[in-house]
Amino acid sequence: MKRPDDAGPETSVPAIELVDVGKRYPNGFVALAPLSLAVPAGQFLGVLGASGAGKSTLMRVLNGLAPATSGEVRVGGVTLGPRTQRAIRARTGMIFQQFNLVGRLNVMTNVLTGRLSHRRGLPSLLHLFPRDDHDIAHEALARVGLVEKAWERADRLSGGQQQRVGIARALAQQPNLILADEPVASLDPVTSAEILDLLRAINRRDGITMVVSLHQVDYVRRYADRVIGLHRGELVFDDVPGRLDAAALERIYGPRRAAPPEPADALA
Amino acid sequence: MRWRSPTRSGFPPAGLWLAPAGIVVALIVTAPLVEVDVARLAGAPRKLVEFLGHLVVMPDWDYLPDLWQKMRETLEMSFLATVIATALSLPLGVLAARNASPHPAVFHAVRQLLSVMRALPELVWALVFVSALGLGPLPGIMAMAFVTVGFMGKAFAEAIEVADPRPVEGVTALGASRGQVLSFALLPQAMPDLVGTTVYVLDHNVRAAAILGLVGAGGIGYDMVMAMRLFEYERIVLIALAIYVVVTLLDRLSDRLRARLIHG
Repeated sequence: MKRPDDAGPETSVPAIELVDVGKRYPNGFVALAPLSLAVPAGQFLGVLGASGAGKSTLMRVLNGLAPATSGEVRVGGVTLGPRTQRAIRARTGMIFQQFNLVGRLNVMTNVLTGRLSHRRGLPSLLHLFPRDDHDIAHEALARVGLVEKAWERADRLSGGQQQRVGIARALAQQPNLILADEPVASLDPVTSAEILDLLRAINRRDGITMVVSLHQVDYVRRYADRVIGLHRGELVFDDVPGRLDAAALERIYGPRRAAPPEPADALA
Repeated sequence: MRWRSPTRSGFPPAGLWLAPAGIVVALIVTAPLVEVDVARLAGAPRKLVEFLGHLVVMPDWDYLPDLWQKMRETLEMSFLATVIATALSLPLGVLAARNASPHPAVFHAVRQLLSVMRALPELVWALVFVSALGLGPLPGIMAMAFVTVGFMGKAFAEAIEVADPRPVEGVTALGASRGQVLSFALLPQAMPDLVGTTVYVLDHNVRAAAILGLVGAGGIGYDMVMAMRLFEYERIVLIALAIYVVVTLLDRLSDRLRARLIHG
C-alpha cells in the first residue's frame, strides 16, 4: 500500500478524491448526501454554505474525525480508513474556528504538537522533542510572525494571534493539505484578511492544498481558485468564484426571506 | 406586582421547589430515628461548657517533645499515603474518565473498583489492615492510601472529563496517539484540579491519620485517645491545637499552590 508520505505533491494524484461520500448520523439525519469530488494538488478550494449545511462535516470526513458512513475518501491517493487514518492526519493540517489550542500550554509547545505524529514513544509523552523539531516549530512561528510570543501561554494571546499559532501548528506538520474550518468566523475583518492572506501565501509558496470553509462570499471571491457550495448536505455548486452569481447564491443559501430553517438544520 | 418565573408556565422549575420539599419531609420522617430530642438539646450547652471548662488548664509542656515526635509520624504517614495514592490514582483516574478510557467496559470496571475502595471509611480499612499486618503505622498508611485512591481516582477522572473537547480535537486531528492526546490536551487542562485534589487529600489524610491511632494504626490518634480516657486535659489541649495548626498551614499552602498553577 502506498503511504501518504510517498504521494507528495505530484500533480497526477489529486490531493483529495471523494467517491459517493456521505455522512448520516445514527438519528437518521443526513449531514452530507453522497457526493463525488476531486481536488487537484495545490488548489485553494473555498467551501460555502449556511450554518448546518455540512461544511464542518465535510472537513471532518476528510481526516476521519467524523468518519463517512458511505463512499470512499482518498487523500493523496491513499484510502482513508482506520489503518491509514493516522498517517493521513500526520500530513493534514487542520485549522479551527475556535483555534483549538491547548490554552494552558505555551505557544511553542502548541506548535510542537504538530510534530507529534512523527514522534512516537516515551519522550514525546514527556513533552521532549529533538532539536530538529524545535527548529521546524521555530521556523513555523517565524512564518506567522509570532517568534517573540513563543514562551507565552497560548490563552494569553489575542484571537488573531491564536489563529496564527493554529496555522504554525499546521505548518509544523509539514502537511500536503490544510483543512480550515471557518478560520476567520470569530475574528474582526482586518485580522480575517491577514489570516486569509497568510493561508493564501502558504498555498502559493509551499503548494499546500487548502480547503477553507467561509461565511463571506467576498472572501471566497478574493482568495479561492474554486468554490463548492453546500445546501442542506448536498453539493449544489462547483465552479470558479467568477461564476458565483445571484442564482448560484440562491441555490447555496436558499431564496431570500425564506422560511426560518427547521430545528434539525439549526442543530446540525 | 405579579411575580413570574422565566419559564414557559411562569412557575419555578419543579426541581427547584420539589427538592427542598423532599428534604423537609425526609427530616420530619427521620428526626425520631436519630433521637433528635429538644429537651436533650436544651441541656447540652451546660454540659458542653462544663467540658470546655476542663480544657482551660495549664498545658503539659513536658509532653511537647513527645507530641512533636507523634505529629511528625502522623505527617509522614499522611504524606506517604498521599504519594502512594496519587501514583495509583493517576492511571486509574485516566481509565475511569469517559473521554480517556480505552473502552466503556474498562471505564465501568474501574469506576466500580473505585467506589468499593471508598465505600468504607479509613477506620474500618485500618482495622482490616491491622488484623492482617499487626499494629503500627504501616496498616494506617495502607488504609489511608486505599480510601484515598477511591476518592482521588474518581476526582481525577472527573477533572479529566470536564476538559474542553476543542483542544482534544485539535491534537487528535494532527495524528497524535491516545497517550499524546492525554499528555498534551487532557492532562494540562486537568492539572489545576489534579493538584487541588491532591493537596486537599493530603489535608484530609492528616486529619484521618489523627484518628487512626484509635485502632492502633500509628500516629497522634493513639495519644489523643489515651489522653481522653485518662482525662488528661492538659495534653488534649496541646494535641488539638497542634492538629489545628498543621491543618491550617496545609490549607494556606494548598491555596497558594492552586492559585499559582491556575494563573501561572
